[in-house]
Amino acid sequence: MLDGYTRLCAWLSRISLVAAVLLLLAVVLCVQWQVVGRYVFNDTPTWAEALAMLLVLYMTSLGVAVGVRDAGHIGLESLVMLLPEKLRLKLEILIHALVGTFGFLMAKSGWLWATMKWNERKPMLPVPEGADYVPLVIAGGLIVLFCAEHIIALLRGIEVEPAWN
Amino acid sequence: VEFRSSDVHNSDDYPTVAAVKHMSELLKQATGGKHSIKVFNKGALGSEKETIDQTKIGALEMTRVNISPMNAICPKTMVPTMPFLFRSVEHMRKVLDGPVGEEILKDCEQYGFVGLAFYDSGARSIYGKKAVKSLADAKGMKIRVQQSDLWVALVGAMGANPTPMPIGEVYTGLKTGLIDAAENNVPSYDGFKHYEAVKYYSRTEHSMAPEMLLMSKVVYDKLSPADQQAIRKAAKESVAFQRKKWDEQEAKSMAAVKAGGAEIVEVDKASFQKAMGPVYDKFITSPDLKRLVKAVQDTK
Amino acid sequence: MELTVLAITFVVLLLVGVPVAFSIGLASVATILYAGMPSAVVFQKMVGGMQVFSFLAIPFFIFAGELMLYGGIADRIVRFANSLVGHVRGGLGMSNVVGCTLFGGVAGSPLADVSAMGSVMIPLMKKEGYHADYAVNVTTHAALVGALMPTSHNIIIFTLATTGIASVSILGLIVACLVPALLLTICNLGAAYWVAVRRGYPTRGDFAGWGEVARAFAAALPGLLVILIILGGILSGVFTATESAATAVLWALIVTAVVYRTLSWEHFLKACAKACKTTGVVLLLIGISAAFGYFMALYEVPQKTGALMSAVTQEPWLIFLMVNVLLFVLGTFLDMAATILICTPIFLPICVQFGMHPAQFGVMMLINCALGLNTPPVGTTQFVGCAIGGVSVGTVMRTIWPFYGALIACLMLVTYVPAFSMWLPNLLLK
Ligand code: NA
Ligand code: NA
Repeated sequence: MLDGYTRLCAWLSRISLVAAVLLLLAVVLCVQWQVVGRYVFNDTPTWAEALAMLLVLYMTSLGVAVGVRDAGHIGLESLVMLLPEKLRLKLEILIHALVGTFGFLMAKSGWLWATMKWNERKPMLPVPEGADYVPLVIAGGLIVLFCAEHIIALLRGIEVEPAWN
Repeated sequence: VEFRSSDVHNSDDYPTVAAVKHMSELLKQATGGKHSIKVFNKGALGSEKETIDQTKIGALEMTRVNISPMNAICPKTMVPTMPFLFRSVEHMRKVLDGPVGEEILKDCEQYGFVGLAFYDSGARSIYGKKAVKSLADAKGMKIRVQQSDLWVALVGAMGANPTPMPIGEVYTGLKTGLIDAAENNVPSYDGFKHYEAVKYYSRTEHSMAPEMLLMSKVVYDKLSPADQQAIRKAAKESVAFQRKKWDEQEAKSMAAVKAGGAEIVEVDKASFQKAMGPVYDKFITSPDLKRLVKAVQDTK
Repeated sequence: MELTVLAITFVVLLLVGVPVAFSIGLASVATILYAGMPSAVVFQKMVGGMQVFSFLAIPFFIFAGELMLYGGIADRIVRFANSLVGHVRGGLGMSNVVGCTLFGGVAGSPLADVSAMGSVMIPLMKKEGYHADYAVNVTTHAALVGALMPTSHNIIIFTLATTGIASVSILGLIVACLVPALLLTICNLGAAYWVAVRRGYPTRGDFAGWGEVARAFAAALPGLLVILIILGGILSGVFTATESAATAVLWALIVTAVVYRTLSWEHFLKACAKACKTTGVVLLLIGISAAFGYFMALYEVPQKTGALMSAVTQEPWLIFLMVNVLLFVLGTFLDMAATILICTPIFLPICVQFGMHPAQFGVMMLINCALGLNTPPVGTTQFVGCAIGGVSVGTVMRTIWPFYGALIACLMLVTYVPAFSMWLPNLLLK
């Protein structure tokens, strides 16, 4: 059961990273296409900038979530290391619980904005304004899942292996 | 209560900033010091788009924004944004003070905003490294626009190449020749120092999109009817003050850009006006909008 | 009171060990709830903070830096630097400084710089009898110059942190950083040489001649061209800053995959994945700092700080010194991007008020933050250097003083002599 959960999280993190990589390449292409359009066709593709901005939000959110699973975010870990083993474990659980709380609030607020702004259309793209806030829901949800995985792993005394390095 | 009102302009004495500060004084007098307004300018609380959303959920009491970002939220705000709609500044002021202006402000209420007043933002014209005397001169020019479908369509209808770009990159873009021109009112041409980069300001006056002062409906509904009236009245009274400040600002900026070497070019506006059909076809689609446009045109 | 809540929750969370971005986020949520406002505003500011077009340059520069890191550009730069200064006393130390500066120019990030150059140079220096602490200190300090180079994403972060306070163009700041980057390199060379002489490190063979220099330069040139593409591209009006960053990615790909043929498919995927994760970390920090900045604006922190500082003194030099000290203290705890985002709105207005040009402030801030990258408890560049060199932070800290001295000398020159930052922009951009 718990191993299954770990496998699910590993799979989710891998999928997220693959999607993020594809999005990153798409963003590079969008901006390059803008240059080509401006010089080659003297017709600046007006959607390119808007699309690049939207995609980068999705890419970033996935990167943030994977960063949580791979413990990639920067903090003052050196101070925690000074504590005795038992206290350190409790503190590490607390840290993951706090990050998970933030993820939950992120998903909740993202949902609020996305639904509120679903009927407004984004400039230059055939997409609702609310699409800007969907990444918050996705990333927030993933962060909650990954933090739970970390807490379970800490309690079981095992390490969370990054899915792809 | 000290209401908070946002503004994106940097100068503490910019006409819209000064107008809301003036409104605060009027409101203080009317309510015996009970209510006042604190202005957070320089975009401190966020972009126009962000502060509009904050106002909608009641996290912010008031916001002063240009009408353009409201287009996607409240359809009737599209009307005063349309190109070559107003014949003159006097015509625009008369329309916005009259029933058409009232109907547009009122329309915002169903979307969560109490429309308090329209402020002036002058007329926007094209400025670039060459003069644009008629429609033919604009053909093929790379003209920077805001990220908005209407502005892209407007500049596209001129036969130019609309290039969306954030305002912060425009100075460098004009200077290095990445874009040929931009479009804005005289105080912005002055304030962003764009006249240092390009010197021909061609008075196309293609749009007079006004500014709006909005209050959060959530906040407004919690106030007593007397307070509500006091706020509406103070806002309306601040309009005359803003217009006076605006005219002064425009004259001051005009003198500054001329002293900085800018040349003001008179334009064959009729040639532009004729090309705007497709823009009206694309954006003035509902019977309501058509009726309002006609009402504006019929206002003498 | 709200500010007290903000400050205390932030510091406590940080000390507990919550990552910086989440500490800022949770402190912001706590503050907004205390103020009785909807917490959704925090997340709106976060999305808004990430959604600035010029910010696209950040993932691009990070991505380009990763491709350069995995694509074997470092080896060629080491050979070129060696051919140039390898024969001087403490030769490898000197070529390390030159190499890091050049690689910093293409990768634009101290962290990528220390990872790429460090993993080539530090083991090499140890093998030739240099002490590990010297090898690490030379590398980590030389790597800092990456923050001042045209491909530095921290330059973009600073220009955007000035929004609404002062107008600094990305191009203006890129150009302003060039002379200080050279100055920092010279200070680093001085420190490396001084320590080498004091410790009696050997010279390394003779000068191989200009022919070898030319050959090594030709080999390193395709990688180095990226600096020219970015600067030339923006200056000539071919690209915006964002577009030039996207072009840097394309160029890095062409050089490593086609010209050098050193980038394997596996390395390419690694670089992509790493770039996504780093972008996530950096952009989250930028986004959430916008929420932090919102509170600072709402509760008028910059105005209050400014009033406090000008009450203490009216002497510009003393104000600038105070700002530097405060920046340094904060920089020891925070990462570079976080320091820039949090401190710019507070300190830029007061420095401008006392006569400093915003671009000069930017250069000063970047160098000051760079100092923090080599200072525990959060010294990311230093940690990577120590990990590669196999020494503890404590060992490195005992002999860091000459290098700190060089960095502080550079910082003071930039703070008090405006010409270092402003001469080139005034020459090129007027
Ligand atoms: Na970089
Ligand atoms: Na530090």
